[in-house]
Amino acid sequence: MPDYVPGLEGIVAAQTEISLVDGANGRLVYRGYVIADLAEEMSFEEVAHLFWFGHLPNRPELDGLAAELSGSRSLTQAAAAALDALPKDADPMDVLRSVVSVQGVRHRLEKPNIPAAIHVTASFPTVLAAFHRRRQGLDPVKPRPELGHAANYLYMLTGTEASPDLVRALNTYLVLLADHGMNASTFTARVIASTDSDLASCLVGAIGALKGPAHGGAPSAVMDQLEQIGTAENAARWMREARARKERFMGFGHRVYRTYDPRAKILKAMCQRLNPRFYDLASRVEETALAILHEEHPERPQATNVEFYSAGVLQAIGLPKDLFPPTFAVARVAGWSAHVLEQASHNRLIRPQSEYIGPEPRKPVPLAERS
Amino acid sequence: MTEDLRAAEFSPGLEGVVAARTAVSEVDGANGRLIYRGGYLIEDLVPAAGYEETAYLLWHGELPDKSQLDALRREMVAARRLNESARRTLESLGPDVDPMDMLRTVLSAQAASRSLTKPSVPEAVALTAVLPTIVASAYRRRQRRDVIEPRDELGHAANLLWMMDGKEPATERIHWLDSYLVLLADHGLNASTFTARVIASTGSDLASCVVGAIGALKGPAHGGATYAARTMLDSIGSVENADAWLREAHAKHARFPGFGHRVYRTYDPRAKILREMAKTADPRLHQVAAHTEEVALKILHDAHPERPNATNVDFWASVVLTGTGIPKEMFTCLFATSRVAGWTAHVLEAMEDLRIIRPASVWVGPQPGQKPVPVDKR
Repeated sequence: MPDYVPGLEGIVAAQTEISLVDGANGRLVYRGYVIADLAEEMSFEEVAHLFWFGHLPNRPELDGLAAELSGSRSLTQAAAAALDALPKDADPMDVLRSVVSVQGVRHRLEKPNIPAAIHVTASFPTVLAAFHRRRQGLDPVKPRPELGHAANYLYMLTGTEASPDLVRALNTYLVLLADHGMNASTFTARVIASTDSDLASCLVGAIGALKGPAHGGAPSAVMDQLEQIGTAENAARWMREARARKERFMGFGHRVYRTYDPRAKILKAMCQRLNPRFYDLASRVEETALAILHEEHPERPQATNVEFYSAGVLQAIGLPKDLFPPTFAVARVAGWSAHVLEQASHNRLIRPQSEYIGPEPRKPVPLAERS
Repeated sequence: MTEDLRAAEFSPGLEGVVAARTAVSEVDGANGRLIYRGGYLIEDLVPAAGYEETAYLLWHGELPDKSQLDALRREMVAARRLNESARRTLESLGPDVDPMDMLRTVLSAQAASRSLTKPSVPEAVALTAVLPTIVASAYRRRQRRDVIEPRDELGHAANLLWMMDGKEPATERIHWLDSYLVLLADHGLNASTFTARVIASTGSDLASCVVGAIGALKGPAHGGATYAARTMLDSIGSVENADAWLREAHAKHARFPGFGHRVYRTYDPRAKILREMAKTADPRLHQVAAHTEEVALKILHDAHPERPNATNVDFWASVVLTGTGIPKEMFTCLFATSRVAGWTAHVLEAMEDLRIIRPASVWVGPQPGQKPVPVDKR
């Protein structure tokens, strides 16, 4: 029997052309393009096109995709009814998981396909915005077809058009988070796809994985920790004490990058511009955290990860903390669906082995004789 | 580690990769044994323990005594009803929606809650208890008939049949269904269980794990195979027709649903038990199936003498479920009704040493670094 590999670290589970996490060189690459070249130049729609169709769109292709996306933003009647049935105080990730599941119901099994990917990607912001308004006692805002994906999400949340600066920031965030190699949620989607299941099942599973604090839940946890620290002056004392209590610093460490996460770099610069209050505290916390972590493990590359400065950008955009994880999903659904299509195109059931650590076979005792 | 650019070996389907240590079950493929937690062979367990006992075993590591079993039964009975969000979500879905989509959706709604909770045994009990209610409700909706409330004095299997039909189920039907539920309750690191463990590895909640697992089970290459096996038997129709049908299908390179398994190198021990039960559960279909099996194994052996082309559990499960009176479009839901005990047991086990499951991928795309051309110059 081969050795057990905890966390499947270093085990190659897929061949992919969608994204490359080049950890040694600190590069994230989407279908050949380095993220730094895409982040502030491309719209989310262009990147989604790149993922699904394999190339950046020309003008007619982009206009076509944008029109398809904006034409697919409304919820089905069933989804609207389900949204209404869920508790107002539910975790937005549970709402997204449930309503995406409703949107994806079919009479018979449908193979994953690009139109379905477009449709579901278009609907994520609608689900979240409608729920967020509902829990505030507000009516949903109808999508505006002439607005792009990022702008329309903000518009549906607030009912007013957001400033170009904030739209740009959200767009960059969406582009940066749209894919990231074989992370746990993407891998979940691919495992589900490997049974020849449908796209909605893959995405619902991926949302469930992203919900975990060790994955998509991290930016909210960063915010919680920063709130506890409170001020830059307090950072060093609070953090040393936290460390003495064996608490983790949120937003640090990554299994793959051995250098500064290229996404964190871009988000950090955005924070400085858009959210100076956050930046002052966060940059001091970062500095302190890195120093402490380096003292403890000088051999480890304890770099800041994408979650850390994501929190500041999403706060600047005006999102409440509990919408951070599902907004991550708004970005990642482009990557998830592209991976599902890729997996389905040359599929093999993903069924690893386990190592049995239980007792040797023995006979059961009849119920009446058990004590 | 530079994962993606390294010329690491890619094992398609993670075949032969050990992704977990588990005491929940062991598929001993070489010897054709399925061992459930505590070290019990499946053939010893089926005559000795019902589904509730088996679920208890998978969750706690030991078979319950009488008072523990009674307590579990009470707990499950109390958790059978749909809550308001689940009920209204169910009602929002059209009656012809795929029952697995209904199950995935309504379970997700049932579990929608305010804050993230750590997977626990009480939650595993509650999810396992409510699954049959969703399955039966989906079936009733499909029939355009009213949903039937659970009956507290009935056991897990009997109550499911009651909620589907609204009739007192015959003792033997309860026995067949209960045995089926025990047999399918766990099976090593199959794709849906692995899905549940990957989701659990992020620190997510139990419902998210189960909802993901339902999505994986839905795939024809996994839980959908029982339906496919029955569809094949339907289209074969009679003993006389089996030979010609199978040879023709084989000539067209069609796969025979219900045959072949990645792990067993001998006859699947569950299939053996179900084959025996099928004789009484549905004698007519058993005849067709037995002949179909014989011919299929011969064709497969002639084509690939080196392969252990054994009958798998889906093939005989399709006959036993048919005899139990379960319509084939509900087969995969029945599979989920059983496997949820295993899924939740695996998640609870994974909690003991949580580490995010994040494998590597190998890059087969274009050389990194090309500069993007602005949209209007493309």
